[in-house]
Amino acid sequence: MKLIKQFSKVAIIAASVAMSSAAMADEPMNLDALLKTLEQGQVAQTKENKAREAEFKAKESEQLSMLKSLEQNRNAKLQDSERLETQFEENEIKLSNLSDTLSKRMGSLKELFGVLQQVSGDSSNKFMTSVVSAEIHGRSDEMSELAQKMGSTTRLASIEDIEKVWFELQREMTEQGKVKRFTADVIVNGGEKQAKEVVRVGAFNLIADGKYLNYNSATGTLSELTRQPVSRYTATAGELQNATSGLTDFALDPTGGSILGLLVQAPTTEEQIHQGDTVGYVIIGVGLVALLIALERFFALMLMGMKINRQLKDSTARDDNPLGRVMKVKDQYPNVAYDTLELKLSEAILREMPKITRNLTLIKIISVVAPLLGLLGTVTGMINTFQAITLFGTGDPKLMAGGISQALITTVLGLVVAIPTVFLYTILNTRSKNLLLILQEQSAGIIAERSEKGA
Amino acid sequence: MVLVIEAINALREFLDTGGQVLLAIGLLIFVMWLLILERFMYVFGGYRTYKKQLTADWFNRAERNSWNAEQIREAIISRAGMQLNQNISYINVMVALCPLLGLLGTVTGMIEVFDVMAITGSGSARSMASGVSKATIPTMAGMVGALSGVFAATFLQRKAKREVELLEDKLVLDH
Repeated sequence: MKLIKQFSKVAIIAASVAMSSAAMADEPMNLDALLKTLEQGQVAQTKENKAREAEFKAKESEQLSMLKSLEQNRNAKLQDSERLETQFEENEIKLSNLSDTLSKRMGSLKELFGVLQQVSGDSSNKFMTSVVSAEIHGRSDEMSELAQKMGSTTRLASIEDIEKVWFELQREMTEQGKVKRFTADVIVNGGEKQAKEVVRVGAFNLIADGKYLNYNSATGTLSELTRQPVSRYTATAGELQNATSGLTDFALDPTGGSILGLLVQAPTTEEQIHQGDTVGYVIIGVGLVALLIALERFFALMLMGMKINRQLKDSTARDDNPLGRVMKVKDQYPNVAYDTLELKLSEAILREMPKITRNLTLIKIISVVAPLLGLLGTVTGMINTFQAITLFGTGDPKLMAGGISQALITTVLGLVVAIPTVFLYTILNTRSKNLLLILQEQSAGIIAERSEKGA
Repeated sequence: MVLVIEAINALREFLDTGGQVLLAIGLLIFVMWLLILERFMYVFGGYRTYKKQLTADWFNRAERNSWNAEQIREAIISRAGMQLNQNISYINVMVALCPLLGLLGTVTGMIEVFDVMAITGSGSARSMASGVSKATIPTMAGMVGALSGVFAATFLQRKAKREVELLEDKLVLDH
């Protein structure tokens, strides 16, 4: 570093020496000569300046005339502005006078226009949602245009406009009382558009092909409802579509389609069953088990009953039924005392009992357990609901209602399983009880009757 | 004719407001009362002749003292008991099922109420009314059915028991 600093110092010194040597080189120029050249230059300069001065003086008059014309121009403009200002003021007064006369002359008409604006605004909304608009288009836009026109102060309604409002209201009223057929594009469930014959029932419902339609007021399109009401109602729609004259029954939605619209959102039976979740599936599984056992028992008891009935008519004891096996005891011990025979008989009956009453208690247990499981599902569902409440508060009934309907569905499933199971248990229990009665109280009697006959 | 149509319409309206469970309850009560009527007709009609025949058969026997005779008497009484008690257990179970079905209707109706709440998001009483009527009417119908059946069932049960005892008294053994 030091080395570089020293080197730069040396370089600067060298440069200054070189410059002073150059000044020394100009020294030989004569000073007199220099003075002369300066003098000459001064003379030439004064000459030039004089020429320029002359030129300026020549132009001065020209400038003056220009200034004059500009001043004149300015004055003219000022006058103009003054004149316009007074005119503006005059106009203002005239305008206020005129608007005064306007409002004076309009008088009661002003109120009328207010009413007109309101009515046309209202009917614009009404026409927008009315199903009549599916057939007659553009009424709503016309009405809202008129309402806007009446809202602005500068424009007045013509008599045609006023009559138009009246006409449209009258037309809506008349159309409400009519059943009309017309062809329109309908979006079917697949999503494609099809031209179909649509029947409109007043301002209430639209049907096509015996199905209820939905009118979308925003897009002005018709679509088939994805979920139709129960067949009893859709059948009346089909009847109406096929009817040519006279009166037919028809199930109409007095709200003009909003109730039918809600139908789409209601869950189906299958969806409701899935709402039950794990507990619901367990209940259904238990119910199926009960049903299978009951079926097996039903056929087994029926077969047994048939065989016992045959045995009642037959005098020889068979081996294929409980009564026959009990009666065989008599043949096995032909010469025992009566009380011994009775003991042997009751022993044989005891041996037959489990075969007749098998699995019946299981069905009984399931019929009791199913509603309990339903209760369990209800409680867990309620816990979920309350958890939702602690998280989101009670502000939204939708949030709670979902959980509650989930909770209730398990109760329904429990009852749906329990009711037929109780019934099945009773049927099977009566059958098995009757068979046991035959064995217990009658086998001895039957044996006695036979022995008397034989004797 | 008009009255009949009006009655049918009123009934249909009632079933519509009560929902499908009400139909099941109605069917159940109908079957229950058919069975009860059948029982009444048997107890006061068919059974009388049957009893007469049984007692006549018993007293026509040559001897009524042996083990055989005792067993045969037991069998006769048991047969009569079976005849008398037939279907009574079904009537009893139907009486028990009526309130259960009513409960089912209540729960399905409540589900409808909560579905309406879930869809509309409001507690509008008017939109929930159909669900509430579906919840309450089946309960009422179930109660009415059960109460109407309970008296008849108890009467029949007691009657059957008494008749069996009477028969036992009548078929005397000779000593």
